[in-house]
Amino acid sequence: MKGKKMMEQYGNGLALAEKHYSQYGSRAKALKAEGRKVIGYLSALAPVEIITAAGIIPLRLKGNVSEAITKADAHMETIVCPFIRNVFDTALKGKYDFLDGMVLPHQCDSIDRTNDVWSYNLNLPYWHFLNFPHLTDDPSIEFTKSILRIFIDTLEKYTGNAITDEALVQAVKAHNENRRVMRELYSLRKADYPLISGAEMMKVLVAAMSLPVEESSALIGDVIKEVKLRGVPNGTSLSRIMLIGDQIDDVAIVETIESAGANLVMDDLSIGSKMYWADVDITPDPVQGIAERYLKKLKLPTTCITAGNNYQENLEARFGHIKQNIKDFKVDGVVLFIYKFCDPYGFEVPAMKSFIETAGVPVLYLEDEYSSSTLPRMKTRVEAFLEMIA
Amino acid sequence: MADDKKPRALATQAAAKIPKFVRGNMSATLKAKEEGKKVAYAYINDGQDEIMRAMDIVPAWGESFSGVCAAKRDAEQYLQKAESDNFSRSLCTYATCTLGFDMLREEMGGEMPPGAPWGGMGRPDMIIGSGQQLCDPRFKWPQATQHYLQDVPVFVGSMYYPPWDPNMDHKGQEKIYVKYATEELRACVSFCEKHIGKKMDWDKLAALVDLTDRTWDIFIDTYELRKAIPTPMDTGDAMNTMVPLTFNLGTQEAYDFYADLNLELRQKIEQKQGVADEEKYRILWGAGLPSWFALGDFQYFNSKGAVFPVETTYRNAEKVERLNLPKTNDPLEHIAWRWVRFWTHWYDKARNRPGSIPKVERIIEYIEDYKCDGVVFHSAFSCRSWHAGIVQQAEILRKIYKDIPVLIMEGDIVDISSYNEADTHNRIDAFIEALETVRSKGN
Ligand code: SF4
Ligand code: SF4
Repeated sequence: MKGKKMMEQYGNGLALAEKHYSQYGSRAKALKAEGRKVIGYLSALAPVEIITAAGIIPLRLKGNVSEAITKADAHMETIVCPFIRNVFDTALKGKYDFLDGMVLPHQCDSIDRTNDVWSYNLNLPYWHFLNFPHLTDDPSIEFTKSILRIFIDTLEKYTGNAITDEALVQAVKAHNENRRVMRELYSLRKADYPLISGAEMMKVLVAAMSLPVEESSALIGDVIKEVKLRGVPNGTSLSRIMLIGDQIDDVAIVETIESAGANLVMDDLSIGSKMYWADVDITPDPVQGIAERYLKKLKLPTTCITAGNNYQENLEARFGHIKQNIKDFKVDGVVLFIYKFCDPYGFEVPAMKSFIETAGVPVLYLEDEYSSSTLPRMKTRVEAFLEMIA
Repeated sequence: MADDKKPRALATQAAAKIPKFVRGNMSATLKAKEEGKKVAYAYINDGQDEIMRAMDIVPAWGESFSGVCAAKRDAEQYLQKAESDNFSRSLCTYATCTLGFDMLREEMGGEMPPGAPWGGMGRPDMIIGSGQQLCDPRFKWPQATQHYLQDVPVFVGSMYYPPWDPNMDHKGQEKIYVKYATEELRACVSFCEKHIGKKMDWDKLAALVDLTDRTWDIFIDTYELRKAIPTPMDTGDAMNTMVPLTFNLGTQEAYDFYADLNLELRQKIEQKQGVADEEKYRILWGAGLPSWFALGDFQYFNSKGAVFPVETTYRNAEKVERLNLPKTNDPLEHIAWRWVRFWTHWYDKARNRPGSIPKVERIIEYIEDYKCDGVVFHSAFSCRSWHAGIVQQAEILRKIYKDIPVLIMEGDIVDISSYNEADTHNRIDAFIEALETVRSKGN
């Protein structure tokens, strides 16, 4: 397998993760040069199983926090989420020119209302806006199955090949395996001295979403082997922090937290645990399992969970998993990092903050840009927060 | 919308009636309790209007409340209150304004915060949202509100439309969308039945659905009278006369209002009575919610001889016959078709002009039908739904149609801190100059 060959070449998982992190998308680009098709996607809502089953490589799109936005503003308003603007800017600058297409799931207004802007300016051969609903009730599942079938149909037309149920099941299994190994890696952070730092983990998470699924799983497996060989360090343990947010995909933010004197031991990010905690069930109709996973199991604030007989039960249904992870990973404090102009996350802040605080865990809420230029300001606030919880 | 200011000399009589409408809608929520009726927090363009009206549920419109606060330049205290509990200033200010209001009222044990505009909104018995494609606050705002009104049950339905894709036939997808929307409307009926303790009167609903069809029709017929030169009514007025369509759909009062407006506009046309003393330029309000605290800017345009015979904002209706709706005996399915087809109405036109998009087709249609010389957009920073994509619309318009003067104003709907009158007027002046340059070149 090509992935294995590459790993032998680089010797160990963390070094390979570092490579794919710093040269983001390079593997997909190389595979494209070998004749494979690559489709970029935005957000955790994109059903990667379907792209994989089509024989296409899914590449999650990221921006660059160190790069100033210079081209996007001519086409996209500054009232759009800074992450989306930055990725669009990155794409306009040619970083993703090797893509054959893109899929934009309807995650939020920032994506929905800029679909035209992306497609018009990037003009890629394949384009799809996947109109995910915001609800999780039974009619929404049926509707989601329909729009997933439309998505499948467009990919079949584009590639000229049928996507069989068997291919879907294979892809589901491969992505479930990917999630399983990533969860195993996460579990190594539960120890008093986590075997992998938050910064290293961020690089693995980012690298993992840039590779074909089997290569991604192999990389994670290699990282697990490598970090398990580490000895337990001496000294005192640091405060254990959980980071919550959507598309936080740069190590600079994590380094800001860790350099202030903490260990980032867990996250609730849409490139992190949110992606890896929920599997797709193997169902007689594979589209059913996929629809249920993305709508019901993926706990994004962009899906409206109305479960529960009263408000407290509703909060449990929405944020209970965070409390559980706080317990499992022995979290001392939470950093809630929300991008400006993000309505889905922004409207949840008071509810989520007070819910977490009822578990006795303090929360630092930060609203910020997708830019390294604002990180010094953030560091000061994190330092004050760590002092408070020490 | 609908502040207390004196009506302008050249404004319609109908627009002058609007403050009474808005005040009536707000006080109805306060009176409802005495009358044993239920109040629901509701959100416009939800497709649920007729259901609420048929079940005698009194809607309390958050967007209207916030608009009134903004028009009275009295929103800041509520925005600050919301901000004090970590609602970002960048979120939809319609939502954060009502959230701040709810927070204050709960702190006061349910008493109305003193000075609440026009007596304030009644405390709801239920919240009826819709996780539809209109905007994220459709489903996040109800959830956020429940954080402060924890005993109030929340329903969130759904209503989507096929996405625009030049390479796909949306007609093949419409049935999927309508089926889904119909099921969600049925769930809304069940929720209402459960919480008001009575069953839906389906005949009454069917009658209200028919009334709404007729209201959509007369609304469009009336607004199309503004094609006349000079135009008898402009967008400055339309930001008021939208109230019955937006907040009173499914009521006879809304229908009657447009019937009266229709008569009034016909009279004005007959008498060649225009909006401006001398109509020099006709402008399309191409997109964006207005700054409710700065509606006087429309008069500034008028003072320069510029009028707005048409706007896309709040014109959320179309002649029903143009939508070619499939026949159905199910009033809920009819509502679903009506809305889905409204959203997809300009898709075919866009498909026929390479490089176009439906929103731009709508703009071109209006420019031509209403003989407009330029386009003004307003970009409100706290709402992505109507305001993200405007730059792109302007770009496409110029590319596929013609190099028409365009002004993009920046501000907000509610948050006055974003507004600078002198700057705005300077930009308007520059735009008028551009219109004049084009005109003189043409001559
Ligand atoms: S951060 Fe918020 S606005 Fe940005 S993509 Fe995610 S959900 Fe959308
Ligand atoms: S459409 Fe815009 S202004 Fe209206 S509620 Fe939604 S986000 Fe707020």
